[in-house]
Amino acid sequence: MILAATMQPESNSPADDALARLRRGDLDALESIIPEYQHRLYRFLWRMVQEPSVADDLFQQTWVRVMERISTYSDRYAFDAWLFSIARNLAIDHLRRKHPFSIDAPDDEGARPLDRLAGAGADPLEEVLEFERGAILAVAMGELPAIHREVLTLRFEEGMKLEQIAEVANIPLSTVKSRLSRALESLRRRVESSLRLGGTK
Amino acid sequence: MRDHEAFSALVPLAAAGSLANDELAAVEQHALACPECARELEVLRLYARGLRELPQPMAPAQLLQRTQARVMEARVRAAERRRNGLLLTLLSVFSWISGILVWMLARAVAGGVWKVLGVDLMGGLTWSLISAVLMWMTAGVTAFVMGRRNELLRREI
Repeated sequence: MILAATMQPESNSPADDALARLRRGDLDALESIIPEYQHRLYRFLWRMVQEPSVADDLFQQTWVRVMERISTYSDRYAFDAWLFSIARNLAIDHLRRKHPFSIDAPDDEGARPLDRLAGAGADPLEEVLEFERGAILAVAMGELPAIHREVLTLRFEEGMKLEQIAEVANIPLSTVKSRLSRALESLRRRVESSLRLGGTK
Repeated sequence: MRDHEAFSALVPLAAAGSLANDELAAVEQHALACPECARELEVLRLYARGLRELPQPMAPAQLLQRTQARVMEARVRAAERRRNGLLLTLLSVFSWISGILVWMLARAVAGGVWKVLGVDLMGGLTWSLISAVLMWMTAGVTAFVMGRRNELLRREI
């Protein structure tokens, strides 16, 4: 059902032609395909691993993996979901190597960068809106567990439907829903508690 | 109360724009009569909007070129691995065939029996064991030489 939801209608866009060339092993096709996805894919990896140099390396590894497995890709399904699932698995492998504990575990409670960004004020929400909302949210998001960052970036930055996220993360749709809800709530709690802490300083 | 719990559980998904139209309408209808859910929906929608407008990290310059070079390098290595595997298989087959041929020749020359320290070297089992040991030694040496060659090639790249 999930796969059915991400199926693509038949089309013959230049991107499809490039994909067909790639499947025939034509490396020049990468010149057309990579630019189309490079900012989205790099941004997703950056959000997942939080390190530009690692995101850069994983980006390259993703395309190496794409070339190795392109014969297993079926064009009945969305290429971007397939691409992001490869990138996601590489990022998760990296995070597991780096942090042998569960990637689902919350971060340590210590000095957090968010605290430094917190301003003073009565209504945290208003502050979020008024002062550096984007930067504050980005820092708070960086403090979330990887699986929460993943679902938030896929939904809000990549604009993926829940069915596509389920395919990328290889989890049931019901899990995507609960994970997205928890991630949003968790993000909100982090922003609000940090702003509150900042306000009492 | 049960309705409130059911609707409040849907509020984050409504804020994320991930509900079907009828579900969203039901949540919004509930929010009209429930200040708690209305506030929650409003706040989470602001967070959702903020997430859509996060500062965007941009892919570094030359990433495309570096990626293409890496893909090309990976492809060269994969082709080399395939070639090496094929070469090793051919060598193994050649080794078995030549072992059998030499055995047949040696049997013909020695008249069927060639005993050393009481062991008949012309026996099928003995000859097979000797051939297997020789073949594995040859394969090991070949693999080592190929590995060294690949390492030198990688350094040159």
